[in-house]
Amino acid sequence: MFIWFIRHQLKQALRSSIWQKNVATNIILGFILLLLFMDLLFVGLMIDKILNQLYPDRNPVTVFNGIILYYLLGDLVIRFFMQQLSGFSFEAYLHLPIKKSAIVHYAALKTLLSIFNILPYFVFLPFAFKVIPSVYSTGMAWTWLVSMISLTLANNFFTAWLKRQLGSKPKIVGFVALAVALLIVLDYFKVLSLSTFSGTIFDYITQHAMIVLVPVALLIASYLNYYLFLRRRLYPEELRLLKDKKVDVLSTMHYFKRLGLIGDMITLEIKLLWRNKRTKTFLMLFPIFVLYGLIFYTQPTYKDSFGFLIFVGFFMTGGMMLGYLNYTFGWESSYFDAILTNNIDFNRYLRVKYIIAQVLCTICYIVTIPYVFFGWDILLVNTALYLYNMGFLAFVLLYMATFNKKRMDLSRNSAFNYQGIGASNWLAVLPGFLLPILLALPFRLAGYPKAGFLFLGILGMAGLVFSRSIIKMILRNLEKRKYIMADGFRQKG
Amino acid sequence: MIDVQNLTKIYSGETVLNIPSLSIGGGESFGLVGNNGAGKTTFFRLVLDLIRSDSGWVQSNSIPVARDDSWKAYTGSYLDEGFLIEFLTPEEYFEFICKVKGLSDGDLNDFYNEFFDFFSQEVLGKKKYIRDLSRGNQKKVGIAAALMGDPEVLILDEPFNGLDPTTQIRLKMLLKDLRKQRDVTMLISSHDLNHVAEVCDRIVILDKGLIVRDIIRTDDTLKELEDYFYTQISTSARKE
Repeated sequence: MFIWFIRHQLKQALRSSIWQKNVATNIILGFILLLLFMDLLFVGLMIDKILNQLYPDRNPVTVFNGIILYYLLGDLVIRFFMQQLSGFSFEAYLHLPIKKSAIVHYAALKTLLSIFNILPYFVFLPFAFKVIPSVYSTGMAWTWLVSMISLTLANNFFTAWLKRQLGSKPKIVGFVALAVALLIVLDYFKVLSLSTFSGTIFDYITQHAMIVLVPVALLIASYLNYYLFLRRRLYPEELRLLKDKKVDVLSTMHYFKRLGLIGDMITLEIKLLWRNKRTKTFLMLFPIFVLYGLIFYTQPTYKDSFGFLIFVGFFMTGGMMLGYLNYTFGWESSYFDAILTNNIDFNRYLRVKYIIAQVLCTICYIVTIPYVFFGWDILLVNTALYLYNMGFLAFVLLYMATFNKKRMDLSRNSAFNYQGIGASNWLAVLPGFLLPILLALPFRLAGYPKAGFLFLGILGMAGLVFSRSIIKMILRNLEKRKYIMADGFRQKG
Repeated sequence: MIDVQNLTKIYSGETVLNIPSLSIGGGESFGLVGNNGAGKTTFFRLVLDLIRSDSGWVQSNSIPVARDDSWKAYTGSYLDEGFLIEFLTPEEYFEFICKVKGLSDGDLNDFYNEFFDFFSQEVLGKKKYIRDLSRGNQKKVGIAAALMGDPEVLILDEPFNGLDPTTQIRLKMLLKDLRKQRDVTMLISSHDLNHVAEVCDRIVILDKGLIVRDIIRTDDTLKELEDYFYTQISTSARKE
């Protein structure tokens, strides 16, 4: 039976339009993945040297074992947020004479096909067979490796179970989150030391081969737990990750009504962003965008770097806007026909999108003003980039968005979700990341870096002044491309 | 009201629609029947300017639909779920469409009064998003929204398909009323010959993109339609 499941799944994967049409996305993803593999492999091969450099007088195995608990905790959190649960739609098999247990085993085992279960080996394998034998023996390396594999896979089934709980018993998720947070806090205030604890356990396991049975038992327990969970509720409606939600408070929001039709369209966009999973997870990135400066401004090498200042300024004030405008029509793909047949004037439609982009940009700008604490230059750069984003980049992105033509499924998480993203979306990122630096560079080379910032700001202000005519230009492109867009948006799957 | 000249649509080398000339008069109730792939939806999409024709044009009220948007103000349409905004509640959707059509809150109230029975207590006040409604109820929302604001032209693709029996009957009564009381031009497609024969004054059969019959309804129309599709079976049997 498994052979059939695998065959069907392979066909599903190969025949999905993501493979067939999205060549650019696949190439870029493949390239990033390759880099990641190489990077991790490098770390794995060099791990003894790295550990030696950091702690020259300590046993490298103990040092490494000391971080394993942190790793497992981090793995748990990352998996919870990013790992997609298997898309095995077993509804099509339930009514056939197939043993339920076979279906469930397959559904449970399929979670193993995740990149999170592959990446760790790039570090584990070299460490087990290069470092451990140099301190202990090859036999112990095996013991260590088996226990590590068991624990990561136990994590895999545990998070899968935990994610399913979100739908039925969200409290359990809350408890686990609380426990993890408590551990981290206790460790931070040195009430208990996870690293000593971790070092002791894993050193002990490495040296006592029989103890390896404990991690293996954990793996079996977590698998059975997940298996039984699925087995008990093999009805599709009980397995949905989130239940039908009650209508949210936005339905009583009448604030924008006074703006007339434009206000109604703004309300519609807000509901679009808030009520779909993919767009909502995008909104959740807000803190990451605005806190980005903390990474760079706290380090003098970056703080005084011309390029980094501009990049960080762009990213903090314009990152959210870029994410929004880049897919703005794609997000509406499921009802684009409604927009075309109803009496919605495109000029107004584009202006609504521009207003929301401006609002996003402005919120990000205001929130990042306190970075002035790190120096007035930062405020100057951010203000210049804020104007540049609103008056220049926004129009470039809106124009590029008229090349959206892939239907986007908004019901899934946005992390690692490349469904519906096409070449134009990748291209649109370039003017954001590179252009401001390139535009300001000549001034810097001539010895007037501040003039470069000023130039970006003036460019943005010019765009703001001429916004109406620029929107008209974009409108003409939208008029021309609407059939291609609508046709693409109608293609499901 | 709707005039078509030399209209063709080609998908990957295959002509899926070819209408040399067709004229639908104001107030006419026009039914379109045909098997799957006959070009019904393609025709409606061309009339609604949702796809670009490969040649020819469609005019609404003597204005080409592809060049001017003014037809949108007096045309109500529902082809498929692509016309619904699924993350809104039905009420929010109606309110939005109401605004877009430039109607007042009073009009919205009249609309609710008029369609209260049509929804048979399944749609309104349920505090559910459209995406969580059943297919049939989604369709009710779409059809009702198309009828909002007394459109002069009404375009519905397979409106009866997927509706419960009561709603099918209600919809038929509603459409007949529209035909009688107001001067609404209706374009309706259906797989069910009974429904079309009952609601429409003029029925056109499409086959592989071509108009093969153009019938003004009489008492024998249903028989004529059924005979046409019977002969289809016998001709294809003969070919084999």
